[in-house]
Amino acid sequence: MPFVLYHWINALAMLFLTLSGLYIHYPVFPGFMGTARGVHFFWMFTLIINLIVRIVLAFFVKSAVMPSTREQDIDYKNWLPQEANRHQFIAWIKYYTFFKKEHPISAKYAGPQKMSYLITVPLTFFAAYTGFALWGPTSDWAFFAAGTRFFADLFGAGIGGGNLMGIRIVHYWTMWAILLFTAVHAYLANIYNFDPSRMIFLWKENDKGH
Amino acid sequence: MAQKDLGFYDQLEARGVTRRDFLKFCGTMTAILGLSEGMAPAIASAVEGAAGSSLFPAVWMDGGLCTGCTESVAQVTKPDIATILLDILSLNYMETISMSQGEHAEEALHETATHNEGKFVLVYEGSVMTGLDGNLLRVAEKTSLESLKEIGSKAAAIIAVGSCAVDGGWVRSVPSVKADGYPQEPEAWATGVSQYLASQNINTPVINLPCCPVNPEWVVAMIIDAVMLGGIDADGKVTAAFASKLDEEGRPKSIYGQTIHDNCPRRGHFENGEFVYKFGSPEEAAGYCLYPVGCKGPQTKTNCPVVRWNDKASWCVESGAPCIGCGNFNWVDENAPFLGRFRNIGLGMKKPVNPAAAATVVGGVAVAALAAHGFGMKAAGRIGAGAPMEKMKDWDRKHGASKKGGDK
Ligand code: SF4
Repeated sequence: MPFVLYHWINALAMLFLTLSGLYIHYPVFPGFMGTARGVHFFWMFTLIINLIVRIVLAFFVKSAVMPSTREQDIDYKNWLPQEANRHQFIAWIKYYTFFKKEHPISAKYAGPQKMSYLITVPLTFFAAYTGFALWGPTSDWAFFAAGTRFFADLFGAGIGGGNLMGIRIVHYWTMWAILLFTAVHAYLANIYNFDPSRMIFLWKENDKGH
Repeated sequence: MAQKDLGFYDQLEARGVTRRDFLKFCGTMTAILGLSEGMAPAIASAVEGAAGSSLFPAVWMDGGLCTGCTESVAQVTKPDIATILLDILSLNYMETISMSQGEHAEEALHETATHNEGKFVLVYEGSVMTGLDGNLLRVAEKTSLESLKEIGSKAAAIIAVGSCAVDGGWVRSVPSVKADGYPQEPEAWATGVSQYLASQNINTPVINLPCCPVNPEWVVAMIIDAVMLGGIDADGKVTAAFASKLDEEGRPKSIYGQTIHDNCPRRGHFENGEFVYKFGSPEEAAGYCLYPVGCKGPQTKTNCPVVRWNDKASWCVESGAPCIGCGNFNWVDENAPFLGRFRNIGLGMKKPVNPAAAATVVGGVAVAALAAHGFGMKAAGRIGAGAPMEKMKDWDRKHGASKKGGDK
């Protein structure tokens, strides 16, 4: 149940944030800017709160260490590198690139999976950070202004700070990066069968087991 | 000066400025300096007092520039208050409009600097061109770099007027195209006064007033604040109170604290989504928001909508032109194209890329790769139960599983 809800919120937030973001980037049709910005702010807060709740939960709820087992562990441990992941990263890359035939031993999530899922966490926070640096009411906070200054310097604005152009572009790219990892995520999670998707979209568990 | 014998307001009258005009002007200054309206009389008496006493010495030097800022500050159409206020300074040297020439002018410059060491203001206009060892600009047999170092190190404070003096402005931008068609580093290697002085370990305080050109009222406001309201004390030291009014880039926060977008009279249209998509359209005639035609107001921080330009007549967006972001740093490179939303970004690369195109290509390739991979997985018979599980990790096999039983 939390699994399904969490994914729905994320999917909707990403959809609305991307669409409203693209509209703000270029208003392809008139009459929508105020709404687009409102939508963007609403889903941005929703996404961040959702993510924070998820991270907090990771330290409290237990989840299965493997599919089709009753053995459970505190959830966050399933995300960090585990004993079973050791020395298997190369093997997994070989497996994914068809150089290795057998399925490598692994924890619930393989090394590359863990990495590509986990990276969306800092990416989401990063999108939020760059977003706040652009948003009028928060852009002057020293914490966010420091980022503006950093990217302005990095992209050669010389004296730096106050140039919002650099961080704007970074904010935009972060969106593509998140979408990219989401595509990888959806793919890797569903590659063997569509059980996860069936659960999220149809609320059905596969009772056949694996 | 014969005028000195007249009272201050008589002097103003003589130049066509009424007392009312003057007080209104002082009101504007409070706005620019971020003071309350109630401070207007204090400014008036400070200016009046300064006009009566001895003139505050100042020199105005030029680097690599178009003299646009001089034009802007001079506002030659009529003798307005700003010009008169500048008379309160004893502007002993100004290359563009100085009466004296040659040796006399040089003498005035160096006398001001040596006799008032640490107690005069240097207004610097134009970029600091460091290319070719500074030989791109020589005045009185010295490179501009030498002169800036010499005079700049003696000044109490430097007001860097205009984008060029602040960070090199358009002089440092990238249109110096070489034969192969790719933008190269500009030969002038132009930079701003504060960066150059920092590189020479000269720490005279620099007040940065970026914009192309500078708004004359900002210059006047800075002079009032620094000279007449005691921003520079009797020993020629910049007071802590004055320094705290500047941001990390040396810009007065009261001028550069908010975006143009936040104060724009067209902002209502922006929120309503009423946009000008094409010049000459009915939307343009209706005064809609200029965002799709490239307005950089949302990322440009100046108080243009409040202070306005050309004797408060109007300003860019009000007169129908999208903001081109000239108050930004490195504004030419960062804000081109001026009349469009999309831009190619250099981001330190020699050949700029179009972010939208790049993102589409990368995204498309990734999705295609995943799809292809999916077919591969299917072809390899891995869909469903997955490939047969290996018996042992490769690593363990190679390193001998017996060793502590391997990983697992
Ligand atoms: S015209 Fe420019 S500054 Fe004014 S509301 Fe539109 S985008 Fe903002």
